[in-house]
Amino acid sequence: MTSPLLFRGRLLPRLVPYAFVAVPLAYMTLFVFGPLIQQVWMSFTDTRLMNPTAGDYIGLENYQDLFSDSQFYTSLNITIVYTILTVVIGVLVGTISAVALDRPFKGRAILRTVMLFGWAVPSVAATLVWLWIFNGQSGVASDITEALGLGRVPWLTSVDWALTSIMFVTIWQVAPFVMLVMMAALQSVPEEVREAARIDGADALNVFRNVTLPCIMPTMQVVALLVAVWSIRRFEVIYLLTGGGPIGSTSTLVVQLRLTAFEDFELGLASAYGVVGLILALLVASIHFLVERRRALVMLK
Amino acid sequence: MPKIDFKGISKTFGTNTVIRRFNATVEDGEFLVLLGPSGCGKSTLLRMIAGLAEISGGEMLFDGKLANDWTPKQRGVAFVFQSYALYPHMTVRSNIAFPLVMDHFRKWHHIPIVNTIHRWQVMKRPEVKAAVDKMAEQLELTPLLDRRPGSLSGGQRQRVALARSLVRDPSLYLLDEPLSNLDAKLRTQMRSEITTLHQKVKKTFVYVTHDQVEAMTMATRIVVMNGGTIQQIGTPDEIYDEPANTFVAKFVGAPPMNLLPVQLNGKDLTAGEGITWTHSGQKPVGETKAIFGIRPEKLELRPEKAGRLPARVAVIERLGAETIMGCRLGLADAGDSISTEDLVFVRMPGHPGLSHGDACSLDYADEDACWFDKPTGQRIASRHDDTRVAAIA
Repeated sequence: MTSPLLFRGRLLPRLVPYAFVAVPLAYMTLFVFGPLIQQVWMSFTDTRLMNPTAGDYIGLENYQDLFSDSQFYTSLNITIVYTILTVVIGVLVGTISAVALDRPFKGRAILRTVMLFGWAVPSVAATLVWLWIFNGQSGVASDITEALGLGRVPWLTSVDWALTSIMFVTIWQVAPFVMLVMMAALQSVPEEVREAARIDGADALNVFRNVTLPCIMPTMQVVALLVAVWSIRRFEVIYLLTGGGPIGSTSTLVVQLRLTAFEDFELGLASAYGVVGLILALLVASIHFLVERRRALVMLK
Repeated sequence: MPKIDFKGISKTFGTNTVIRRFNATVEDGEFLVLLGPSGCGKSTLLRMIAGLAEISGGEMLFDGKLANDWTPKQRGVAFVFQSYALYPHMTVRSNIAFPLVMDHFRKWHHIPIVNTIHRWQVMKRPEVKAAVDKMAEQLELTPLLDRRPGSLSGGQRQRVALARSLVRDPSLYLLDEPLSNLDAKLRTQMRSEITTLHQKVKKTFVYVTHDQVEAMTMATRIVVMNGGTIQQIGTPDEIYDEPANTFVAKFVGAPPMNLLPVQLNGKDLTAGEGITWTHSGQKPVGETKAIFGIRPEKLELRPEKAGRLPARVAVIERLGAETIMGCRLGLADAGDSISTEDLVFVRMPGHPGLSHGDACSLDYADEDACWFDKPTGQRIASRHDDTRVAAIA
């Protein structure tokens, strides 16, 4: 009699790769896809925090509420502005720092460590430090502006300044990460191609524009995607610094989601906020993949 | 067209000296090959000529003018890299046109959008278009002009690199092992293409390689380097026929020159394991020990006892038109040894009909021997004109 297929040594090796994939797949299903699907489903129900498992299907009612609420548009607007500006400035500052630190010079290692500080320190701890720095009465930031003759600035309590302050802290945290990744990308730029450009008569700026930048562009784009997605879903910095205020001027979609879910107890409507955030993130990701695919096609031509 | 003078050029990296007091002249229009093993400083020297590496000491003169601190652009050189160093995101056309775009570049073109417009305008200029098209045609790249380097083969990339360096019509061409990434067949083809190119453009070429075949076939003059110092400068024939020392003798030629440490006793020479033969030609005067050198093709394979040196066949390499035989001197059986260190190589046309382990003998014409000093490895004299080498009457 023939032994079962599994033990004849043919099926088992074929199953091994699936076993490896199964572990992360199970994890993702349990902790990512599962809650995500549940959230999307919940956005079509009238679930409330008092009774989170018993919500009735109400169709698109939550979305109707959402789209008729002016706070939603304010939040969407803030999220988009916050995301675009942190991505642009964060990636720019990070890349410029990486280029500056790319060549060896005295004290480079120390400077690099200092510049990584914002990324290395736990986010909540760093944000609390910034909360003190921006404090209206005793904050260092206002001490500096006062010394410069600009008077004390209500960094976190003024509608005009709150978002700027939050973006400043965000960039302080994000730029070191961008710098780290871009430094690695700069290592991969072939030295001979830079030299070829110098021979061809390019000055330093032209070498950067024509050789270095195109080589690090794909990495820069991935980093921009990461920073964008993180910005869309960033919570702790905003919540700790302003809690979404003053008068909702820093209330991004995520902050608004928390407010709706845990202060208004409307889990269904909060889920609808979440879905909008998810769509925004997917939109950014798909733009990235479209650009990436186009680049791959062009490069292979 | 520049003549380049090196006056005591040296290069150090920290405490490590890579090039020591290099003195040489590159004449106008010649094809100079810098030949040497890896790490001998030949590429560093080429990079110093290009202005890509700083000169630590000494003077480099371009047509008599001190050029130590000139930028690569001021030197007006073309450089072909081993890795081709093409701009991966640009098309072949843009790659070739890049030096011309840079020639037309002014400081204010750095303004972002101005930059793009400027490049577009330069690319559209009839003279630039004509120059690129001419280069592409010359190097058979016309059908590839709109492709990117990523989709080209090694040989095609090398031709794009050549086209890019040629387009500006420079007076000095620097080539850093440009063929070492190509397969054997393509290498042979590109070798003749570069030689033809040199004859056509009649400019100065400085070519770096560790491949002595490339050096011998392409050069009008060769500089053999080792450990950062010049071992010998000469035409390919001089380098081959009259190597300055045992390093050059071993490095140039495949298989290399046979070098046998011998004891001199009147007309008798004794090598290694008690093999003694009579040498009637010139030999060092007043020495008891020396190194006897002879090129493989100058040795003659004869039947056993017919030649002066008894030997046994250890290696046979058939190359079609010729055969290279590795023989072990003496008639003792080498057993299982696979070392080729102690072999004497013979190059001969056709096939001798001997097989591994057969006894044979070797002979040579006395005037073909080269003599080297035992402790220093320096050649004692050219074969014909030195007083230290004399015929024993």
